[in-house]
Amino acid sequence: MTTFTDPQAVAPAETRAGGSGRVPEQRKRTFGQWFRHKGWRHVVGVVTTLFAVFPLLYVLSAALNSNGTMAGSNVLFSRFDTGNFEALFSNPSRPFGRWFMNTMIIGVVTSAATVFLGALAAYAFSRMRFKGRRVSLLSLLILQMFPQLLAVVAIFLLLNAITDVVPWLGLGSQLGLIMVYLGGALGVNTYLMYGFFNTVPKSLDEAARIDGASHVQVFFTIILPLVTPILAVVGLLAFIGLSSEFVIASVVLTDPDSQTLAVGLYSYVAQQRSENWGVFAAGAVLAAVPVMALFLFLQKYITTGLVSGSVKG
Amino acid sequence: MKVRSNQPTRRHALITGVMSVAVLALTACGGGAAESPSAGSSSAAPNLAEGGATTLTMWVDAERAPALEEITRSFKEDTGIEVKLAVKDFAAVRDDFITQVPTGKGPDLIVGPHDWLGTFVQNGVVAPVELGDKASEFQESAVQAMTYDGNVYGVPYALENIALLRNTDLVPEAAATFDEVIANGEAAVAAGDATYPFLVGMDPKQGDPYHLYPLQTSMGVPVFGQNEDGSYNADELLLGEPNGVEFAKKLVEWGDTGSKVINSNITGDIAKEKFNAGESPYFLTGPWNVPDAQAAGLNLAVDKLPTVGDQDAQPFIGVNGFFISSKSANALAANEFAVNYLSTEAAQDAMYDVGGRPPALKASFDKAASDPIVAAFGEIGANGVPMPALPEMQAVWADWGGTELALIKGSGDPAAAWTTMVSNIEAKIAEQ
Amino acid sequence: MLTSAPPGPAATRPPQKTAARSDSTLGLLAKIVLLGLVDAFAVYVLITLFLQEKWVILLVGAAVTVLINWIYLRRGGLPAKYLAPGIFFLVVFQVFVMIYSGYVAFTNYGDGHNSTKADAVNAIQLSAQQRVPDSPAYRVSVLEADGDFHLLATDPDGGVSVGTTGVPLEEADDAVTDGTGKGVELEGYRTLQFGEVLANQADILAITVPFSDDPEDGSLKTSDGSNAYVYRPSLSYDETTSTFTDLETGTTYADTGEGSFRSAEGEQLSTGWKINVGFDNFVKAFTDPNIRGPLVQVVLWTFTFAIVSVLSTFALGLFLANAFNLPDLRGKRIYRILMILPYAFPAFLAGLVWSGLLNPEFGFVNNTFFGGADIPWLTDPLLAKVSVLVVNLWLGFPYMFLVCTGALQSLPEEVTEAARMDGATAWRTFTAIKLPLLLVSVAPLLIASFAFNFNNFNVIYMLTDGGPRFDGTTANIGHTDILITMVYEIAFGTGVGRDYGLASALSIIIFIIVAVISAISFRQTKALEDIN
Repeated sequence: MTTFTDPQAVAPAETRAGGSGRVPEQRKRTFGQWFRHKGWRHVVGVVTTLFAVFPLLYVLSAALNSNGTMAGSNVLFSRFDTGNFEALFSNPSRPFGRWFMNTMIIGVVTSAATVFLGALAAYAFSRMRFKGRRVSLLSLLILQMFPQLLAVVAIFLLLNAITDVVPWLGLGSQLGLIMVYLGGALGVNTYLMYGFFNTVPKSLDEAARIDGASHVQVFFTIILPLVTPILAVVGLLAFIGLSSEFVIASVVLTDPDSQTLAVGLYSYVAQQRSENWGVFAAGAVLAAVPVMALFLFLQKYITTGLVSGSVKG
Repeated sequence: MKVRSNQPTRRHALITGVMSVAVLALTACGGGAAESPSAGSSSAAPNLAEGGATTLTMWVDAERAPALEEITRSFKEDTGIEVKLAVKDFAAVRDDFITQVPTGKGPDLIVGPHDWLGTFVQNGVVAPVELGDKASEFQESAVQAMTYDGNVYGVPYALENIALLRNTDLVPEAAATFDEVIANGEAAVAAGDATYPFLVGMDPKQGDPYHLYPLQTSMGVPVFGQNEDGSYNADELLLGEPNGVEFAKKLVEWGDTGSKVINSNITGDIAKEKFNAGESPYFLTGPWNVPDAQAAGLNLAVDKLPTVGDQDAQPFIGVNGFFISSKSANALAANEFAVNYLSTEAAQDAMYDVGGRPPALKASFDKAASDPIVAAFGEIGANGVPMPALPEMQAVWADWGGTELALIKGSGDPAAAWTTMVSNIEAKIAEQ
Repeated sequence: MLTSAPPGPAATRPPQKTAARSDSTLGLLAKIVLLGLVDAFAVYVLITLFLQEKWVILLVGAAVTVLINWIYLRRGGLPAKYLAPGIFFLVVFQVFVMIYSGYVAFTNYGDGHNSTKADAVNAIQLSAQQRVPDSPAYRVSVLEADGDFHLLATDPDGGVSVGTTGVPLEEADDAVTDGTGKGVELEGYRTLQFGEVLANQADILAITVPFSDDPEDGSLKTSDGSNAYVYRPSLSYDETTSTFTDLETGTTYADTGEGSFRSAEGEQLSTGWKINVGFDNFVKAFTDPNIRGPLVQVVLWTFTFAIVSVLSTFALGLFLANAFNLPDLRGKRIYRILMILPYAFPAFLAGLVWSGLLNPEFGFVNNTFFGGADIPWLTDPLLAKVSVLVVNLWLGFPYMFLVCTGALQSLPEEVTEAARMDGATAWRTFTAIKLPLLLVSVAPLLIASFAFNFNNFNVIYMLTDGGPRFDGTTANIGHTDILITMVYEIAFGTGVGRDYGLASALSIIIFIIVAVISAISFRQTKALEDIN
């Protein structure tokens, strides 16, 4: 992953001349050129960001207003205090800190396992030819289309049965919940990776095999490093999905100490007419922090791209 | 606040929806696993030396859990039985209970509103509770609400109902009729003291028949007929009373295309915020919104519910209580706890201190009534009727709310809309 | 699908041998340890199952264990080795759900039919025990003699009597009483301590002491071991004929095969049980007037909603991914993070927030962007549809943005470079080269996204709940209802309770529709694929 430059980005700067650049490091350009190349991207960025963020500002505003309701006011940030955040951390029967840790553990373990299981399957689909390959791929996708309206009942029954045999994997167990989540590890994720794996030239593995590498070594040492962007994307998608999932989690986890953020926070608003939106909003804001942190951390992997040298290999 | 749980509002329903969807199914496997908790376990040579290791599980929502800790501690000291308080989302309790009881994995006890009873009995998941002589220590309407098909199924602990909150700085005197209320409110608006003559929260999708019910009953249009013992008769739908159409016309008159006294765009949250900001003299709501209004520095009075017609304005009463699972393996211990501990003054006081809902036990209520707000709500509740617990109510809420909302928005002919609603509801009840 | 086929290109060389040889000791060791752990766990589970005498599960479990070992120990069958772990979880936690729904679709499972017949009988019998009006309350102690439990009952007047199941109450004047006058001990019996009462609660609750020789007088039962009341059942159950008889009116309620006890007049006891109903739910799904009436409109809108949602989120996501796929663009990290936020937010809350933002009179959108105009975003049929689509775009574009960002990285740079050299414009490079390449990996996701939106319950339910409502239907179905919300409404929202049987049947029908459409579209994408 050495430095790599986007020809699109560099070429115009090198080939075009003249103009008093608005951007210091690209002096040679006119504003028009700068705009055609980069400026419009900023316009798009700002507009889309506004679209994405303005409803969330509402939530943030509610989080910072300790006598707040959710929908009442159009004046954002009319009050500014941290009462809701204090309330969030001062309730022993609603251990927010524990919820946070639980979510992190369940989220990280599950998304890591999801990425691994998905990558294994994608490797098989991408690199091996076997009977029923296309049918299996199709089935993976189609299985995930079943309306989940009834899933929780069946999952409860299943875990109930598991509890009778292996209590630490059944109801009330975080490990049990992780297993349930892993049921969805293939499907779309495998597809996403499969498409990406296909772009890694076969010649690479063939060369390695000639050199005596086993299929396992090829997988771990050649393929996986080349597909980090998609691994990062799948991991992030899985983590985001898990961190806001509460329907299954609330059936599986009953002890407040073992619950996840989504389940715990939901209890703040589950009670009709005594919802505590302010505290909920504060919790939701904090809950978004790990997702942002993870995205920041993964961003460099997502956008690293393939090293041209390897691709040509 | 939980009273209306049978009428899912959207967010409620989302969860109740999604989860509840999940909730019902357990019997297939469940039956086998937990078939015989009560079948004679050890009758021949009982090992009398063992015992006292019993644990009860109780589902409770996060709000009530702290109130119950004290009483469970003293129960454990007295009997050695530990009561495990499992904190559940309120929205999930009812449906999860119905699903999980048949598997034998459900809790021994739960806390909930009385209008869950119809569905519980229909699904056979609750056991009757014999209050014995203690029944007379509770407010009559509380015990009545816990009664279904002639049996008492729960130990009540709190009642709640709505009333008319008045900002005394804007309107100093109480009014008796809704017309006077509107007049006072509009005077305050005209004087520039207020923006809205009257506030009541409307769910944007389902209206709010619960809050509008006193206005409706004052015109002589209750939802169901009542039997002699006060229980509801599902076959006697009274929404179709001739005055129902009159009420429908009133809704149009008050609604968006009329005087805008009732505004379909004002949700519960907006109403609360506007009232707390002093923008309206009146707010038709329950005790759950009182603490925030007081915190906002308003001078409050709790007024009797205003009448529209010549009859009493009767609100719905919601009663919260404790229910025992019909498949509890610890039924005796559960009964001991519910009947002999949760019914005590100390327990009911503690629940009041934490939850702020007027206690169902007379002795505790009298203490709580030293707060004039509680006393006023209690007085209004004495005139109310329990929210129907019939499973049929689920069919009623959706049509009732949808129709009222449409009328408030001014769409359609009131007489036709109301009549259609009544025949729709009748058809759904008959389908069953 | 696990049959091994001609090994992949790499393996056509001598590699089987080479590979085997080069499998490092470490790899072999890891394999042995992992498989050993799995087997150890499996054996533990199997032993537990054996002890619990759960034979069917035991057999299935054993078969799965053997299968896993076979997959990993045999030579060859490489694809299976890579697919097995994911498929294991898939089968247990997803396929099971579908099979279970399939089973439920053939039952009347739902409110009122929630459990087994035995449970229903038990519940009815519990409820049928009614306290004899105006009967006294007794204080009781539980006694034991020869392993049988007896109740020592003290009536309000201080009289003490004793009895047990089948032995009517008789006076026990010689009982020892405590300070309050309650009888606590009796010669020939041992008094149980509370702990002992608890340990035997099932038996003690079952004690039914006849009040007298006349069954009409009812019998004494205790529910807490310290108080007892005289009960008289209002219904009696006859196990041989499987009927309940109302002891007051004489009405007989029989099991009519419909999962409940019914009288000849058609009146039924409140608690029923679950039975198989064959194809009834499917028949209902196709004949219910509530479903058939608005069906065409709902189906059309469902497709519109799903297709437009996919296209709009993909278009925006791809556009943004492309716009920010520029290494030296300043601030793109910030843009990216902020744009991911809607996706990181709990969806149900988002629905509620938007519902507030779109409030015609108080909402932020009308007040801020439209200068206080009174636009009925969620109550006008057309605008409601537009609003739903916009909100779904808001919820969905970050996903597409992420996916496209990832996929764009997979495009070899030299392809675009070459195109540029040939003088192609940026737009032409994009449409002619990047997009087709991108679609290879992304097309299946678009199909998946279509399927997801086809069943996108949350956004509709939270935002409009299907409204505004259609005129002229008794069900609460409206202009923005899609099939899945309609199913929800029909199976859970109307009538007198939730009907899981019907919901399952409808779910299966919808699944078949979506699966067929997806399978057909999927075949179309075959052309896009560069390898097959």
